[in-house]
Amino acid sequence: MTRLTRVRSQASADWRSFTRRRTAVFFTFFFPVILIVIFGALVRSDPGGGGLFSEPPAYYVPGYLAVVVLFTPLSRLGSEVARHREGNRFEKLATTPLTRGEWLLSQTLVNTVIIAVAGLLILALVVALTGAEIALSVWLLAYVLVGVVCFCGVGAIIGSYTDSQDGAVAASNAIGLPLLFLSETFVTLEQLPGWFAPLVDLSPLTYFARGVRAASYPGAETGVSGTLESVTGVDPAFGNLLVLGAFALVFFVIGARSIPATE
Amino acid sequence: MDAAVDATNLTKSYGDTVALSGVSLTVERGEVFALIGPNGAGKTTLVRTLTGTAVPDEGAVRVLERAPTDLERARIGVLPQAFSPQPRLSARELLAYYAGLYDEARDPETVLADVGLTGAGDTRYENLSGGQQRRVCVGAALVNDPEVLVLDEPTTGIDPAGRRTVWRLLEGLADAGTTVLLTTHDMAEAARLGDRVGLLADGDLVALGTPEALIDAHAGPSSLTVSLATDETLEPIRADLESALEFAVEVDARESDLLVRDVSPADIARVVDALAERGLEYTSLEWAEPDLEDVYLALAGETEALATRAAGTADPTGPAERSSDETGDGGEER
Repeated sequence: MTRLTRVRSQASADWRSFTRRRTAVFFTFFFPVILIVIFGALVRSDPGGGGLFSEPPAYYVPGYLAVVVLFTPLSRLGSEVARHREGNRFEKLATTPLTRGEWLLSQTLVNTVIIAVAGLLILALVVALTGAEIALSVWLLAYVLVGVVCFCGVGAIIGSYTDSQDGAVAASNAIGLPLLFLSETFVTLEQLPGWFAPLVDLSPLTYFARGVRAASYPGAETGVSGTLESVTGVDPAFGNLLVLGAFALVFFVIGARSIPATE
Repeated sequence: MDAAVDATNLTKSYGDTVALSGVSLTVERGEVFALIGPNGAGKTTLVRTLTGTAVPDEGAVRVLERAPTDLERARIGVLPQAFSPQPRLSARELLAYYAGLYDEARDPETVLADVGLTGAGDTRYENLSGGQQRRVCVGAALVNDPEVLVLDEPTTGIDPAGRRTVWRLLEGLADAGTTVLLTTHDMAEAARLGDRVGLLADGDLVALGTPEALIDAHAGPSSLTVSLATDETLEPIRADLESALEFAVEVDARESDLLVRDVSPADIARVVDALAERGLEYTSLEWAEPDLEDVYLALAGETEALATRAAGTADPTGPAERSSDETGDGGEER
C-alpha cells in the first residue's frame, strides 16, 4: 500500500508535468500520424512489387506502433532523467522513501497510458488511410505494455549516461532510428543482407514486431526459418512476448539501477 | 545528549581537487548548526556526504545513529543546493507530491502557509519568483516533519521579508526539537539561527563554536570609523590621535578613513573631543560591533588570500592542503 501510494504520487506528478508541456503532447501524437500519412497514404504499399513497402498494409502495423512504443519512451525517459539530474531532483528523491525502481515504474505507467492512446489513434488511422485489415486482440495491449517497459528501461539508461537533455535526445535518435527500420518493422528480413540477420535477432523491437504481426495480421507468414516459432513451435504471439518480456525485465532493472542516487 | 549527526575524518576528492580533507563534525539533537564558508569550500560536498548522496573517500558518518544510506528516509528532510522541482506543477501540487512519498506527512496546506505562500499555492513553480520558488523547496524539505533537516543555502534568492519568514519557521522547528543543519552565505542568518557555527574553508573546518565564541576569538575589537573632511595625508593625524587617545588607530584600506579600535560607546565622546581639539572636521562617525562577518573575513579571507598567492606562485602545497592549525586559536577549533 505504501509503495502504491508513492508510485501514485510520482505518477500523478509525472502525468501533470507531461500533459502541461503542450508541444511534447502534440508531437507525441503528431509524429506517428506524419509517418502514417507519408508512408501509408502517400507512398503506399505495393503488395507483390519490389523494394520497400511491398507487403500488404497490415504488415506495417507493428512498424507504425513501434514509432511510439520505441521512440516515446526513449526520448521521454532520456530527457526526463537528464532534466531530473540537472535540477538535482534525484539528489532530493534519494533522501525520500521513493526508490529508483518506483520512480521508473511511475514513468513507465505514464508512458503506457500515453502510448496506449497514441496506439489506438495509430490503429484507427492505419485502417482508415491504408485500408489495412487487422485483427484486434488483447495481445496488442500486452505487447504495448511490455514494449513500453522495455524501452523505458533503455531510455533511463540513455538518460543516465548522457550529460544533458540534448545529449539524451541525440542518443535516443541514434539508437532508435536504426532499431525502428532494422527490426522487421518496415524492412523485411529478406531485404537485408544475410549476415545482418543475427543483429536483427538482438533487437528487442524485432520480437515486438513479430509478435504484434502475428497477433494483428491474419495473413502474416509465421514459422519463418530461424525465428522462435520455427524452432520451438510455440504460438508466435506468446513466444515473442516471452522474449520481449525477458528483454523488458533486463532493461528495466538495468535502467532503474542506472538512475543516479549518489554522485 | 545523543548526536543527531556524527561525522569523523571525512575526506573527499574530485580528481586533484580536495573537497573535504578530514572534516569531523558533531551536531547534537535539537541543535541548529550553521555551516558557512566561501564558494567551493566544500559545504555542499559535506552536506551530500552527510545525507548519503555522496560517498566519502575516507571517514564515517552516522545520522541518528545509522549510516545515512540505512536511515529511514522519513526521519530526514533535505533541500539540495540548486534544487529545481518540476516547473509545471503548482506550489500546492509540489508539496502534495512530496508529501505523497511518505507514509505520514504534514498537511501540504499547513506547509504552504508556513512558508508564506498560501496566496500563491495555485501558481506554477515556473511562474513563481526566485524567492517564492526557494520557499517551495524549503517546504518540500520539511513536509515529512523530519527529525533532522538539512538545508543547503535555504534562503538564497529570498527577499528580506521572506527570509525572515523562513527564519521564524526554522526557529519554530528547532524549538519543537528538530535538528537543523544549514549552509549559508548570509552571516546574519548564521548568527541568528545557529546554536553553533562551523566555518569551512578549502575542505577544512577551520573554526567551530557558538557565534559569540567565534566573534570573541576571531572578529577583533569594535571599531569607530571616522570620515575626515580633509585632503591631508592621514598618517600624521593617525599617529597624533593614537598617542592622545590610547586606542589603536588605523588608516583604512582605502586610505580615506580612520579606524579607532576597541572603542566602547561611552568612549566615543573622547574621540570627538580629541578631533575637536585638533580642529579636525569629520563628515561621519560610525561605530560597529564585531560580528560573524568579521570572523568570516578574518579566517576565510585569509584562506582566500593564501589561495590567490599560491595560485600566483604555483605553489603545489597550496591552501587546499593547509592545516586548520594555521588559523590560530579560538572558538572550538579542530
